[in-house]
Amino acid sequence: MSGDDSMTRAFDGLASRIDALGARSVGFTSALLGEGVSTVALGTALSLAELRGDEVLLVDGNWLQPSLSEDAGLDAAPGLADRLARATELDAAIRRTPGSRIAFLPIGDRTSTRPALRALGSFVASETGSFETVVVDLPPILAGEPFVLPWAAVLDQICVVLREEATPLPVLRQALGRLHAVNAPCIVLNRAKPSSVDVPAKLLAART
Amino acid sequence: MRPYLATLRRYGWLIAAILALVWGAGLASAYVDYTTTFESDATIWVLRASPELLVTSPSDPSAPILQTAASQQADLLDQLLQTQSFVRDVVQKTSLSAALAAAQDERRFLASVGKSFQVDTHGTNLLTVAYISHDPKIGPEMVNAALAVRADRVAQASVTFSAAASTLYQQQLASAQTQALDAQKKLDDFDAEHPAPLSDIQQHSRDQLRLTLDFAQIRLGDIRGRIDQATLAPAVLAVSGMEFQVVDQPRVEATPRGGTKPAAMTAAIAFAAGAALVTLLVLLGTILPSHATGPADVARLAPMKLIASVPRVSRAQGSVGSGDVRRSLGAIAFGGRREKSGPRG
Repeated sequence: MSGDDSMTRAFDGLASRIDALGARSVGFTSALLGEGVSTVALGTALSLAELRGDEVLLVDGNWLQPSLSEDAGLDAAPGLADRLARATELDAAIRRTPGSRIAFLPIGDRTSTRPALRALGSFVASETGSFETVVVDLPPILAGEPFVLPWAAVLDQICVVLREEATPLPVLRQALGRLHAVNAPCIVLNRAKPSSVDVPAKLLAART
Repeated sequence: MRPYLATLRRYGWLIAAILALVWGAGLASAYVDYTTTFESDATIWVLRASPELLVTSPSDPSAPILQTAASQQADLLDQLLQTQSFVRDVVQKTSLSAALAAAQDERRFLASVGKSFQVDTHGTNLLTVAYISHDPKIGPEMVNAALAVRADRVAQASVTFSAAASTLYQQQLASAQTQALDAQKKLDDFDAEHPAPLSDIQQHSRDQLRLTLDFAQIRLGDIRGRIDQATLAPAVLAVSGMEFQVVDQPRVEATPRGGTKPAAMTAAIAFAAGAALVTLLVLLGTILPSHATGPADVARLAPMKLIASVPRVSRAQGSVGSGDVRRSLGAIAFGGRREKSGPRG
């Protein structure tokens, strides 16, 4: 099995479980920088689009390191921050690629505003109402708590990404302690050993 | 074993840093020790075997131990070097006397000096006395001073011994003289009371008295000879210098010598310390895991639930790495808009 295949399978499995949870909006965060959150958010968004057969809105909400916007070459383009500041229209900020079911909302001008709870609530509930699925890439909790907590309050599900054999457990516990989500956050084990990859499926099967 | 190997891999850089630090410092210290250590030694020929050649083993007094002249003198020197008074006398004869006077802990200073001496035997009659220091000039001074102080001590002991022996022999001489005078008086009295010719019984009695007198006079002569020997022998030995001859005088060494053993010891200690630190780190890192090492650790974070595991992708799995996966995903999602790749979140 090649690396691409195993990753695709993993993202498909993650998308299936999010679908099973019935979550429309999902945010991905971590305790620390460099855990692979943006990659997991991107892969999951693609798999969710495939699974639900509909367009997925991928939002770069990483105020600290908007790597998705940089990857897309849209780090200077108007985006989420501009929309929250009412400086642009949402449709104008969303970028679509022909042949892709991903509608991407880059970060925009981060200096213009910070994500406030009321604005985000309106954004997620009303403005993105046309999307069946919203995936948000968020900064690390400990480094960017003010940029994560408002999202945690308005998103249906928060997933915390941790790197196997790298993320310190005390730090992870500290981060989870600061996360006051409506639903308990779920954990995504990134860069897992092959022996750890099939465990979540078995755990979920055992629960059901 | 696998968890320990995993810990070893996880802390690879830290372990490498620890080993580099500890082993590097140890090797550097050993090198400095080796290149700045100078050993100066004197070779000594011990000519006379002691009358106390046979000594008994403390564990089995009935079994004699043959001790050569060299080993006897080496033992004696070793024992002297363990006494503070001897080492103090040695140091006071050298340029280290100022350091001794300035030393805050004299006992430790003297112990350190004593440990720098080394006495070894080579065969039955040869021994070497060596001193190891970081100053090449100190070694010869210390060895010469040790030999001089030893000679003083031996001479002093000889004088004390001969004085004690003389006192004892003088007492025995007085007693023997009294006995001889008594025997002479008894014989004279007998001769005065019994003029010639003597009967057989009288002749026998006179012979007995004469024999007693002869024995007393012989003993008197023997004691006088011992007194002379006790007085003269140490002096003769000291004057001749035959008992303890320095064959090779200690020299100021121009090149480092004698540092191999301490350097090897330093390197070995550093090696063992590094290995012990790494072992401790691996043990603690395995027994007290501080990282999420798998789903079992994540399960302990309940009520948070693990819903997926994304495998790590290495370049060993074909040409695909984690960076390649990200680029592939970006290409699918963003198409040709992707222009650059910065730090990955």
